[in-house]
Amino acid sequence: MAIPMPGNGWEGEHNRFRIGVRARSFVPSTPGTNEPDSMTNDQALPRQTTEVLRKMDDEALIIAFQNGDLDAYRFLVERYQERIRNLLYSIFHDRDYIDDLAQEVFIKAYQALPRFRFEASFYTWLYRIAVNKSRDELRKKKARRFFSFQTLDEGVEKELNTRLSVQPENRDSNELVALGLQTLPEKFRTAVVLKDIDGLSYEEIADVMQCELGTVKSRISRARAMLRKALKPLMEEVHS
Amino acid sequence: MKKMNTQKLDALLSQYVDGVLSESEAQRVETMLAEDASARQQVEELKSLKGLLGTQPKLNPDIGFWTRLSVTMQEQKQEEMNLLPFPRKYLPALSVMVTAVAIVAGTVIIQNRMQVAQFFSEKSLAVRSVYENKILQGSLLPLFSKVDKESALQFSLFGTLMLDNKTETALHVDEQSEKGYRIEVGNNLKRNTTRVTFDRFVAEVKPSEKQRKIIDSLLELTGRRIESSVLIGENNTMAIAPDLPKLNRLMVTNIASCLEPLQRVNFERLLEAHDAPYTVMASHASAEKTQTYCQSIPKYPQSDRFVIITPDTMMYSRIHVDFDSLRWQMEKNFVNAAFRREAMLKKIMARHFQRLPSNLPFQSPEQIFNGGEFFSVEINVPHDEDTQQQMHAVVQPRIQKHILLPGRSNRSTRMQIWKDTASGDPLP
Repeated sequence: MAIPMPGNGWEGEHNRFRIGVRARSFVPSTPGTNEPDSMTNDQALPRQTTEVLRKMDDEALIIAFQNGDLDAYRFLVERYQERIRNLLYSIFHDRDYIDDLAQEVFIKAYQALPRFRFEASFYTWLYRIAVNKSRDELRKKKARRFFSFQTLDEGVEKELNTRLSVQPENRDSNELVALGLQTLPEKFRTAVVLKDIDGLSYEEIADVMQCELGTVKSRISRARAMLRKALKPLMEEVHS
Repeated sequence: MKKMNTQKLDALLSQYVDGVLSESEAQRVETMLAEDASARQQVEELKSLKGLLGTQPKLNPDIGFWTRLSVTMQEQKQEEMNLLPFPRKYLPALSVMVTAVAIVAGTVIIQNRMQVAQFFSEKSLAVRSVYENKILQGSLLPLFSKVDKESALQFSLFGTLMLDNKTETALHVDEQSEKGYRIEVGNNLKRNTTRVTFDRFVAEVKPSEKQRKIIDSLLELTGRRIESSVLIGENNTMAIAPDLPKLNRLMVTNIASCLEPLQRVNFERLLEAHDAPYTVMASHASAEKTQTYCQSIPKYPQSDRFVIITPDTMMYSRIHVDFDSLRWQMEKNFVNAAFRREAMLKKIMARHFQRLPSNLPFQSPEQIFNGGEFFSVEINVPHDEDTQQQMHAVVQPRIQKHILLPGRSNRSTRMQIWKDTASGDPLP
């Protein structure tokens, strides 16, 4: 297995000699083929390799990646990008925002993957990166809000309350729930999103959020209590 | 069953809904639910909340995600490559070399640290003294330093600033000329303008606490602006920011606009009694616009063009002045600066400026020499239309009798800097 060397970039030892000769595409051609650089073009890769890689499970792909087959990363990305994008969407509820953020998550993962130790499953590890990233992002947002003297949360709450006051038949309960989520503090929001939207288990959430199991349980129950309170009129209607 | 606190109950029911309780715990909850309607309601709500969250709409699949991601990564790598102009494999060697050089240099420096320290302190002292000399002996110095509230008020109301109280020498600005502004230095300019103290102003106009604060800060700003508008330098040079005369009118407008209509009448009475150059219209406009006016007093002259007057020439030229460091130097070397200012004033009063040669650039045909004022500059700058309109609402020039007296111009040294209105540049 390639040992990541300090200072030789993201890609591990195997690729070191290639850099500097000329600017190469991020996806290198498979050993033995000297085809022109290709980033996205399936035809440029031997068909068989692609098929083989596509069928491999996460672990095998990571091992292949760590052994120098950088193409393997593409299949990991394609396997998880939708889940990561949806996770970020549930946390931020902002379509414009998540594309860049998801890219950053996968770039971070690419840089860190040579050091992946198989202590957790790949997707909990990936989720951890995404959750950390969104936490940083929310902090930045908070800082910006502080400097612009606006309170974003108040804006969300106002919006939620106006929507709640609309006639029941004219409002979109999905939208209300999404707004309700936005009113929760980051820790609670992430926990409940991971549990109820992504369907992770308590243990997995503890792993992703790097905290105790008991903490996860209390965060989720408190998040639900807050949501019930925020969405009170909606909850009452559902049960009347 | 024993009553438990809300948080514990929330947690228990939440885990019950998730189905993660042990069998005995679940049993316990079910017994409780059978007895407690509100708990039942809560469980129902939790279930539907879970359902609502679970059915949140998903984003549409993003087919181009990988393409965009790989392009981004490619670009990032390209940037990194551009930062490193040579193959990355030499990086370790380079870092070893850099470390070696640093260690050698460090050893040398430590061994000779006394000499090195001395070298640097000598150099920095030299640089500092050059800088201070340049400011204090060489180029420029504000003629007015620490303009106090009274002087600022005097200037704001009458456009007059005392240079020397004994000889009653003053700098006077006005906007009477149709085309532009006039700046004069002389000792008979005071005429009928007696001093209006700030206390007198307060007694007449009776501003409220808030208005007083606004006026105070306006005066403070005016002081600052005057300080940076009139500069003196080597060889009896004097530099005046040509937009200084605007400040008089601007201040009258500013003060008037933060007053209520009745106070404005009192203010006008005060101005009239002292024959101030501007008259305040009785207007019912509210005092709300003040803040925009306050912002319209820039701390420093807007343009880097100054009228520069030396004993034998006069020009309109750009000079770059770093006002902040000038202020800083002034505060640091106040005594020295004050001394130089005194010397400069003496020279002005010794009428150095009267010995003007006949071949002045920009001089007007009707330039007449006489010694009423020490000098007078008329700058023909087209009025800024916007500010002009803004101000006309409240403040108008007062028609003063002495201005209309024939022959006054015969007693003054007047030079005119003509400004070509079409091109906006002074001639030639």
